Formats: sequence, structure tokens, C-alpha cells
Amino acid sequence: MARVNDPQLTKARLHSVVEEMYDRIVKGEPPTMTLPVRTKNNIGFDRKLGVYKYGKKRSTRDATSLGSAKNLLRALHVVEFIEEMIEAGKSSTLREMYYISEGWGLGKFGSQNESNNLAEDLEVVTSCLREDFKLRPEEDGARMIGNITINELNRRGQWMTINARDDVGDSGYGVPYNVEVEKIELKEHDVKFLMAIETGGMFDRLIENGFDEDYNCGLIHLKGQPARSTRRIIKRMNEEWDLPVVVFLDGDPWSFRIFASIAYGAIKTAHISEYLATPSATYLGITADDILAYDLPADELSKKDIEALNAELSDPRFADGWWQDQINMMLEVGKKAEQQSLAKYGLDFVTDTYLPEKLGELGLA
Amino acid sequence: MCDEMSGIAKKMASNQKQIAISEFFEKNKHFLGFDSLQRSIITAVKEAVDNSLDACEEARILPDIKIKISKIDSKKDILELVAEDNGPGIPQRSIEKVFGQLLFGSRFHAIRQSRGQQGIGITGVVMYSQLTTGKPTNVVSKVASEATAVTVNIGLDTRKNKAVKSDQDRIIWENEDLSPKEHGLKVTTRMKAKYQRGRQSVYQYLRMTSIVNPHAEITFVDPDGEKHHWPRVTERLPRKVDAIKPHPHGIELGQLQRMCRESKDSRLTVFLRQNFSGVSMRAAKELCEASELPITAKPKTMKPDQVRSLLEAFQGERMLGGKPIKLLSPPTNCLSPIEEMLIKKGLSKTIDSKFVSTMTRAPTVSHGNPFQVEVGLIFGDGMVADKHVEILRFANRVPLMYQQGGCLLTKAIESVDWRQYGLEQAGGKGVPKGPAAILVHLASTNVQFTSEAKEALSDNEFVFEESRKAMLEMGRGLRKHLEKKKKMAKTREKFELINDILPAIAEKSAAILERPVPELAGSITKIMSAVICNESTSWNRETKETDVTITLFNYTSRARSYSILVNWPEKSGASMIANERGGRKEAMGIWGWKIETLDPGQKAEINYSLANLEKGDWTETEVFFRGSQDVIGATKLDEKMLEEIRNQEKILAESAENSEDEPPVESRYEPAGVVEGDTNQTTLFGGDE
Repeated sequence: MARVNDPQLTKARLHSVVEEMYDRIVKGEPPTMTLPVRTKNNIGFDRKLGVYKYGKKRSTRDATSLGSAKNLLRALHVVEFIEEMIEAGKSSTLREMYYISEGWGLGKFGSQNESNNLAEDLEVVTSCLREDFKLRPEEDGARMIGNITINELNRRGQWMTINARDDVGDSGYGVPYNVEVEKIELKEHDVKFLMAIETGGMFDRLIENGFDEDYNCGLIHLKGQPARSTRRIIKRMNEEWDLPVVVFLDGDPWSFRIFASIAYGAIKTAHISEYLATPSATYLGITADDILAYDLPADELSKKDIEALNAELSDPRFADGWWQDQINMMLEVGKKAEQQSLAKYGLDFVTDTYLPEKLGELGLA
Repeated sequence: MCDEMSGIAKKMASNQKQIAISEFFEKNKHFLGFDSLQRSIITAVKEAVDNSLDACEEARILPDIKIKISKIDSKKDILELVAEDNGPGIPQRSIEKVFGQLLFGSRFHAIRQSRGQQGIGITGVVMYSQLTTGKPTNVVSKVASEATAVTVNIGLDTRKNKAVKSDQDRIIWENEDLSPKEHGLKVTTRMKAKYQRGRQSVYQYLRMTSIVNPHAEITFVDPDGEKHHWPRVTERLPRKVDAIKPHPHGIELGQLQRMCRESKDSRLTVFLRQNFSGVSMRAAKELCEASELPITAKPKTMKPDQVRSLLEAFQGERMLGGKPIKLLSPPTNCLSPIEEMLIKKGLSKTIDSKFVSTMTRAPTVSHGNPFQVEVGLIFGDGMVADKHVEILRFANRVPLMYQQGGCLLTKAIESVDWRQYGLEQAGGKGVPKGPAAILVHLASTNVQFTSEAKEALSDNEFVFEESRKAMLEMGRGLRKHLEKKKKMAKTREKFELINDILPAIAEKSAAILERPVPELAGSITKIMSAVICNESTSWNRETKETDVTITLFNYTSRARSYSILVNWPEKSGASMIANERGGRKEAMGIWGWKIETLDPGQKAEINYSLANLEKGDWTETEVFFRGSQDVIGATKLDEKMLEEIRNQEKILAESAENSEDEPPVESRYEPAGVVEGDTNQTTLFGGDE
């Protein structure tokens, strides 16, 4: 799924947002901004793209309450700011934009959350990426280790070739925030599959045990809910190299959501799911039946966990039979387990027994 | 209680002079207020302050009270109390009586609301001091008519049970600034006691006293040398209360027997007419007939069962033609409520918060005793939000600090479902939670306590119902305030939207698109789509008046017509001036104007000022409207409420007429606690009398 970055198109799309407000005022109506509803009730499976996208539900933000009127004003300031950056060839982080908004008077942001949300709103309305807006996230990308070679354009404008096994230290290759073709080229690899891992502890355990070399795979540390660039680079390697992706997470309701965002698309970014989601990714573990089968040390589900599981039951992304079974089983067992609980059977158990068994089922070991 | 006390005193004085004072004290320390070291110092302060307030009130002096407590000996728990006032002072010849006598007779003979219904007054303090330290109490007193003050030590001879004076002298008494002191009283006494902080402390007692005595200036220096000051917030002294005669419904057998015994009247009808309130000539005759006594019976010679018959007629047990004898209600002008505006001021000065709702009910009668309930609620950010509200209980302006749970007034608070008025309350019962304090004051000629300690009011369905009603009404005030606050915030937001944000959106979008800035009128009408009312009530420092402005904006697409009504403190004596729009009085404290046409996009203003008020008396005006379209910032007029106000007005007017029918018993000024002549007065010490 290649993307084209066209500054003129970006500007034109942003202007249509401004025009909607302007035209309403001219008609003697309160100004408005129309955008898709961004909840799980408005995401649906896109057969053509194979990922979950926003549906047809639209909400109108109109200037009849102070809060939404301020939001419209802020959107105008952001549009103006983006145009200035496009013209000047600059970029800024979302956090920088938040601080720059101090000078916007009535249009200034109350919190960084507001500025992040508004950037997403504009992406959704214009079908542009925030990279087109010259806005960078604060979140850092993932770490990656394995026999994978990448060309990256550095600050001095030179292409560097980096092998994510031989040219890096123990912390691996750091994935930058922009992983589009203008910045990253996927050069070559010698791995059979990619494994995405939730926690740093487990990532380091597999490296120390030499798992990437023993099983000939690329390891990617997700750092919790993965950043866009992490999901995007997994997607590119999956698509361009046709590599299978397995996802190894804790066994709890929140991990299920992490998996959904990798495989099906996140609710918040459903407008760009086709760039971020890897529909062929497989959930490796920890599954609800692992907790029983391996008799893992487990914690009771909290009230919040149970609420999250129940919400997932009605989430269209978890509608298939396997997920419904897993969620119901976890609710029944009433327990959740961490990846690192496998250490109950020794430090090597995960690499010698658990992963080989699980990968064997998939024909990857 | 008075009967009982008098009984004790009489016994002490006549038959059992040998009983040591220490024994008397030990036996009665609970109701004397000296049952613990912590409580003793509070009681001592209380007796001194009550005396000062009563004396100042009678002499129509604005009280200035200074209390100082110092630690003399921490190991032995010895404290020194200095209590000074600017009251009328006590003449030299009376000092010994005031500080060395029990004062029972004076207060039950005439019935009126009075602070000093508790304990045995300042005498108790002198006794306690003598018993615990062996030292006398020093009194300095100056009356205005004399050039110098008298200083004297009052002690007592515990062997002879006799008050003793010593070191009497005359001195020149000066204020701190060395100006001569005109009049006043200073008591210095030492006692075994412990000073503590918290809900039951001298500090809390003085703070509460200051709330219900907004006319008093109170200064307190605590044992750590810290100075607390509660300033006077009004120059208005409490209304001088008139003593009334007892009402037949409220009298007990013992009292009736004594009254008969002491009567010099030759005819029963005359006795009934002259010694009781609410008894007309017709009623006097009917009472005689019902109790089967001749109208010519001489009260002094009536036999016990005759007295009992009379009492039964009083109480409606003996009837005439199948009906109890109809008696008039006692007059209610013997009560001295604090009144709403002063409760508001009193609460505001001790608790830093913005909103106060108050309610003074019309006086009413229970068992022949006039009583009146008033309540106040202060609410706001200055207070703790997640704790139970503070309860401030008062009986006849005296703070009640102990036994909160068992008190009728607390029960009345607990019976209200405060949740509907915006406070938290588990299950809609019990003491509510929230950033608030609730004040309850019972003014009555006969306050009934649960025990001799006199700290909790006993159950009385009439008082309970009145308290509850007052609380419900006050709660409605709180709810309205909270609703209004919410609405006002909303209105402010709308104004910010159309005045600031919308123009900015228009300008910015025009600038980005490089087009002309569009006209806003149409969008504004669509966004507001309402009629909006703005109210401002502010103190004008130059004119010393309270200026009120009501502005009505029509942000709808049609012309509108309204009646606008406001509340204003007419009852508290304010007058409305500079009211150019005129309008008319709709009820007591409610004024209205008609606004015939208000075109779309137009505004109308109502301006007036309130005179005869002090700063802070009136800070918020409530605006009501009559009309079809809703007005943001004003409340739709409840015609029933208007009716209720008119009814209350009528009741007040009628009770004022009633009290004119029966002239009050003349009250004569006496220095606090001094009673001349034969008034059942007994000296505890069996001394000179």
C-alpha cells in the first residue's frame, strides 16, 4: 500500500474544512465541522482492504456550545500552522504544536491531549496522514533485532545501510517515527518470520537466549500499545517481503486490544488502517487456554479487566469464533497471566519449550 | 428545672446549712458544667460571656468582650481566666450578691427568652475556683455614674459556707490606650482546668457565640498567646424582649400552687386575668366554671385539690359543654430571633464562603410556650467537601456543644433528604456531607432539655416540625443557588462564545480562505436562540447603596414580552430608590416590572438602588419572569410561592395586631443577675441574708 505525499492536495483538503465553517456563517448558521464517529460502533470490515475502517456514521461538531466552538477555532489555527510549515519546509512535534498554541489566544489548547486529538480529527476529515501535516508524534518507535537490512536516510541526507543483527548493540535497531519510503528502504533479510513482543523483559530474554538466531526470526519490541511507526514497519515487512507475523503478548484483555490494533486496525486510527494493519498477523500467546494448559501463575481479573473483556465481546474486530471463545474462556477462568510468568519453569522454558510448541502448531518451528 | 434548682437551694439554705459546698458541687457538677477539667474552663467562659451579653443587651450597649486564658501551672492544670466587658458594670453594693449568690428566683417569675437559664451563673465559677485553688476571684467593676472603679476579691469560707469579701478598694481603670474606662466589668479567676482545642473548646464556644451575636465584638487570647478576633458586623442590638406572663397551657402543678400561695388577689377571676396570658374575662369565668370553683374564690386559701381542678381546666381535661376552654395564644413578642440577615452576617464572618441561605419561621406556640425556629446554611468552596457538614446548634442564642446526636435539632436535620437540595447524604438520612455548615436556633420561653446537662433539646413534635419545615425551605434556597450558579456559568459561556470565539472563527476562516469576514448576526441568533437575563448586585462605596442592574437580551428571531420580578430585602427595612422604570409591589419583598416589547437583537435594562442596607447585607438578587419563552438566568415565577409570601405577610401582620391587644409586662432594668427584694432568692452560703 504505497502512499503519495502531495502538499498541494493536503492544503486543498484542509481548506475544505475551513470552507465548511465559513459557508455556514455566510448562511447565518452556526459554523460546523463534520467528521466520522470514532467509536467501535462505527468501524466495519473493509473487504477490499482486509482491515477495519470507519463506517458511514458522521458527527457534526457545531459552534453552539463553548467547548466545540473553541475546538473549531483551534482547528483553524492548526490549519494555518500546518500551511506555514508546509511552505517553510519545517516539521514540529505534537508537543511543540501544543506549546506554540500558547500564542493563539482564545484558540490555545487546554492540554496536550486536545492537540493530539485535533491532529487526528484533521487526519480523519482530510484523509491525510499527520506526516503530511508535518506533525511528528512524541512516542518513540520500537526496537528490532534480527538478520534484516535496512537503508535509512539520515539527518545529513545520506542513505545508511544498517543490519539489525550485526550493526546494532543489545538494544537493537531503533525504528524512527517516519518509516515511509522517503525515509526507509527495506533492503534484504534472512528470516523466516517476525515476532512482535509486548514487554521489554521478554524481548531481552529471547535475545539473551539467542532465540532470533536459533529460530531465524526478527524480534520487535512493541513497548505496550505500539506506535504508528511500529505498526507501519511491521506492515511494510509483511507486505513487501511476504513475512509471516506472530504476536507474543501477555494474556489479558489489554493485550487482546494490542493484537487487534496490529492485525485489524485501531479504533482511533481506523481512517488509515490500510497503512497500519497487518491482517495476516497471528496471536501466539499467552492465550486463555495457555493459562490452564501450562498451569501459569495468574492474577484475578480486576473489575476493569472484566469490563474490558465484556466490551470486547461486542467489538466487531473480535467477532470471530476463536476470539469469542478466548474472551469467554478468560471470563470463565477469571484469571490473567503475564508473559514472564513462564519463568515459573526456569529461564529457558520459554525458548526451549513454550515458543517451539506454539510455533510448531503454526508450522514455523 | 428551675423548680428543682430552687428546691435544692432552699434545702441548702434552710435545713442543711451544714452540707459542705464541696459536697454540693460534687453532687451537682454535671448540670453545673464542671464535670471534667476540659469542660470546666468552657463553663467558666460561658458564664462570664452570657452575663456580659445579657447585661449589655439590657443596657443597650454594643458589647466588646475580651477573654484571655493563660496557663499558670501546667503540672497541676491550673488556668487563669480573665473576662472583661464594656457592659454597664455592677454597683459596688451588688457585687457580692452577683458573685456569691444562687440566682434561682429571678428568672422563672417572669417568663421570657433568656440566655441565663443554665447552671447557677457566675457564682458557680467563684465556687469552683475557690474549691480547686483555694483562691478568691477578683472583680473590677465600674458604673458610668462613678468616677472610679471598685476592685474586690470574692472568696468563700468553706467552713462557714459564707461568701467573703477582701481587699476592697477603689481604683482608676484605664483602657489599653490609657483612656479612662467608662463602664465595664473584669473578672479574674484561677481554676483547675484543662484547655483543649477542637469541636468542644473555648474557641468553638466563642466562635459560635459570635455567630449568633453579630452585634458583639469578641477577642480571645488562648494559652499559646494566639489572638482570635471576631469583629462586630452590625450595630443593631437584638430587639429588647418583653417578659410575658405564663400561659395556662404551659404551667405545671408546682408552679400553679406557688402562684396561688403567693397571690394577694381576692377573686380567682382577677388572679387568672392578671397572672396569665391568653385569658380573657370570658375565659376566666369559664375556667372557674369548668373547675367548679366560685369566681370569688381566694387563690391564697385554695386547697390542693382545688388547685388541681383549676389545672385540669387549664389543660382541657375539665371541659365546658363538651369543649375545652378556648384561650388566646400567648403573645410572641417575648422572643428575640436573630433574624435572617444577621444570621447571614454572623455565618459569613466566621466561615469564609459566598452563599448563605437563611430562614426565620414565624413564631408559634407549643403547650402555651411561644417559640420560634430559625436556620441558616452556609455553603461554598472554603469548606471541606467530603466530611459531614458542621452543625451549629443554639437555644436562645446559647451555643449547644455537647450531645449533638441526641438533640432534637440534629434529628430535624437528619430527617431531611438533603440529596434533593444538592448535598450528599447516604440513603437520604442522617447528617449530610458537603462543603456546608447548618445553623439551627430555637428561641423559646421554655427550652426543654434531655437532661440536666442542658446540651441537647428533648423531643417536641411542634419544634421538630417547625425545624424541619424551616430546613426544607432553606434547602430550596440552596438548590436554587446551585441551579442558578450552573445556569449562570452556562450563560457566561454563551456570551463568551458569541462575543469572542465566533468573531475569531469568522476572521480566521476568512483569512485562510482570503475572503471577506462574514456577517455574524444570523449565526448568533441561531446559537443563542434564547432570551437571556443578566443580574448584577453590587455595593456602591460612594453612595453607600446597593446598586442592582437587570439586563434582558432577546437573542431570538421574534419580539418578546415579559413581566420581570425580583426579590429585595423589604422585610429588613431596605428601601428601593432610583427605580426609573417604576413597576409595582407584587408582595412583601417582591417587585415587578412589565416589559412590553423586546425586539429581536435588542436588550432592556432595569436599574434601581437599595438604601438603608449595610455592605454585604444583600449580594444576590433573584430574578423571576412571567412569560411564555424561557429566560436563561431567571426563574419562571411560581405563582404559588407568591401566594405563600402573601400569606406569611398576613400572618405577621395579624400577630403584630394581636400583641397590641395585650400590653406586655413592663420590664425594668436590673444589672445582670441582681435581684432586689423578696424573689425566692436564697444565698447558697447561708450568709448575711
